[in-house]
Amino acid sequence: MMDFINLILEPLQEMLLRFKEFLPNLLAMLVIIGIGLLLAKLLRAILLKFLAAVGFDSWSDRMGFTTLMRKGDLWVKPSVVVGAVAFWMLAIVTLMVGLSALRVAAIDSMVGEFFSYLPRVFSATMILLIGYVVSGFVSRAVLIAAANAGFHYAKLLGEVIRALLMLMILAMVMEQLQIATSIVLAAFSITFGGVVVALAIAFGVGGIGAAQRIIEREIAEEKPKENQDDIEHI
Amino acid sequence: MTDFYQTGIITTLHQLGQPSLERLESELLGFAKTRPIALVLPALYSEFEGPAMPGIVQELSKVKYLNEIVLALDQATEDDFRRVREFMSPIQTEVKIIHNNGKRIGEVYETLTRNGLDAGLRGKGRSAWLAYGYVLARGKSDVIALHDCDIVTYSRELLGRLCYPVANPNLNYVFCKGYYSRVTSKMNGRVTRLLVTPLVRSLQQLTGQHGFLAFLDSFRYSLAGEFSMSTDLARINRIPSDWGLEVGSLAEVYRNYSPRRVCQVDIATTYEHKHQILSADDAEKGLMKMSVDICKSIFRTLASDGVVFSEGMFRSLIVTYLRQAEDTLMKYEADAMINGLTFDRHEEAKAVEAFSRAIAMASQAFVENPMGNPLIPNWDRVSAAIPDIFEMLRLAVDADNK
Repeated sequence: MMDFINLILEPLQEMLLRFKEFLPNLLAMLVIIGIGLLLAKLLRAILLKFLAAVGFDSWSDRMGFTTLMRKGDLWVKPSVVVGAVAFWMLAIVTLMVGLSALRVAAIDSMVGEFFSYLPRVFSATMILLIGYVVSGFVSRAVLIAAANAGFHYAKLLGEVIRALLMLMILAMVMEQLQIATSIVLAAFSITFGGVVVALAIAFGVGGIGAAQRIIEREIAEEKPKENQDDIEHI
Repeated sequence: MTDFYQTGIITTLHQLGQPSLERLESELLGFAKTRPIALVLPALYSEFEGPAMPGIVQELSKVKYLNEIVLALDQATEDDFRRVREFMSPIQTEVKIIHNNGKRIGEVYETLTRNGLDAGLRGKGRSAWLAYGYVLARGKSDVIALHDCDIVTYSRELLGRLCYPVANPNLNYVFCKGYYSRVTSKMNGRVTRLLVTPLVRSLQQLTGQHGFLAFLDSFRYSLAGEFSMSTDLARINRIPSDWGLEVGSLAEVYRNYSPRRVCQVDIATTYEHKHQILSADDAEKGLMKMSVDICKSIFRTLASDGVVFSEGMFRSLIVTYLRQAEDTLMKYEADAMINGLTFDRHEEAKAVEAFSRAIAMASQAFVENPMGNPLIPNWDRVSAAIPDIFEMLRLAVDADNK
């Protein structure tokens, strides 16, 4: 009978022992998460004050980031979005650090992977932001140049350039984040290559007459030279 | 039947004989192919509960030449907004509603404010200005017509006649103001009759010939809220956000265009809308508030054109105005008598007294602060500060109307 009771009690005792060992880790995790969230809130408040002081919202309005947000049906101040992103980034980092305090092998490896992935997220964000500004700048430059040159389709050309550049930037972002890299690369190559080939064919076929006229004019201009004598003014 | 006499420095388009509405609308349908027309309707939600709006919607549902209708809705909750969408549904023309109290439009105003662009106080001026911005953002119309939403006697002839001078490419007007007689069993339109006209003529007496005063005096009903204009004008005109809206807008038209490209058109034989109380004892509401704002707007426009105002001139102005207004009052009394209209001379005289106080208050306000409330900036200025503002506005309105 005692053996039977021992059979029941032993696992329970062992579990209790393990829980006793685990309890400080759990408490450490809760404390880390609690303090981390408080710090994240504090940092968000400081960040919002700082962004307001440097006129970040106004800068975003002029650079087109606000419009980018509106396109995503996000109708709050840009600084609020930056604050929220910073808060949640810190919250996730806190969670990861907290989880690592549990000292569970599987979680430790996941936390390690997360931190090694962070630089990629950062560089992808930078590519997206800088790319968006550059695409806007190039698109406006093309629009102005085309409009000044008298092209009727200047606006369309500007939009197409912007769309192609954004396509390229999104492909770079996806590649950086290592999300379906091969599919993204293939899709980008097919789309971008397709557009270039289509333009080449369109210009090639549509410009046959113009090219012919240019070549004929060149030949016509060259011909009189053959009949010129060698007398020079000296 | 009216006469065909041309007065002032702008063109007056009279209603002569019995012009055919069918002919007018069929011509407009043709013009609209090359000059698409947008109708802007600034409205409060309360006007949808009043007697005028059902009639306006019924008439607009028969109009075929409009390219788009932009309703700038104010003082409406989300539920009110949905009800208004339902209310406007019988109209075949594409209707877009700007929900001024909505979250998205609120963010647009917030964007303007943080970039140092003051869109002014809530009201008709600001609503109309935002609606012009939306029309410009869509880029689908060349002509903008605007009328109020409290016209009880509305007919689509009013709209047709209002649009015609600017929509017709052979006439080439850039701005057209509507006019009509404000007569029921008595003469209405006290502010125009007893304040604006006598005040403008008094100022002409004191300052001599002045282009803006001659321009303002040319309008038969300068405070009429109905007008049409080219979208180019909507882009460059600044707008007052207070009761000086009509006069201030005319000042901007005068500043930007030659009077030869401005006209006024007789749009209705009868016109009735909601009346404001005089509020002679309180300058913060009713016609008194309106009068003070109008006077300030006129003084500031003249000052910006080089007219020097002094305390002595303001004192003379009040006396000159009183004389002018009394003479005008006698003319209207005679006009009312021959037409069998009720004319309460005592009430009219009280109104003149109240208006003279309004001029004094406006003079004092002008001396204390010659700049006053800044006008709402024009859309060229706004897009220079925030290049994507049109896209942002279009996204906001389109998302609200999904």
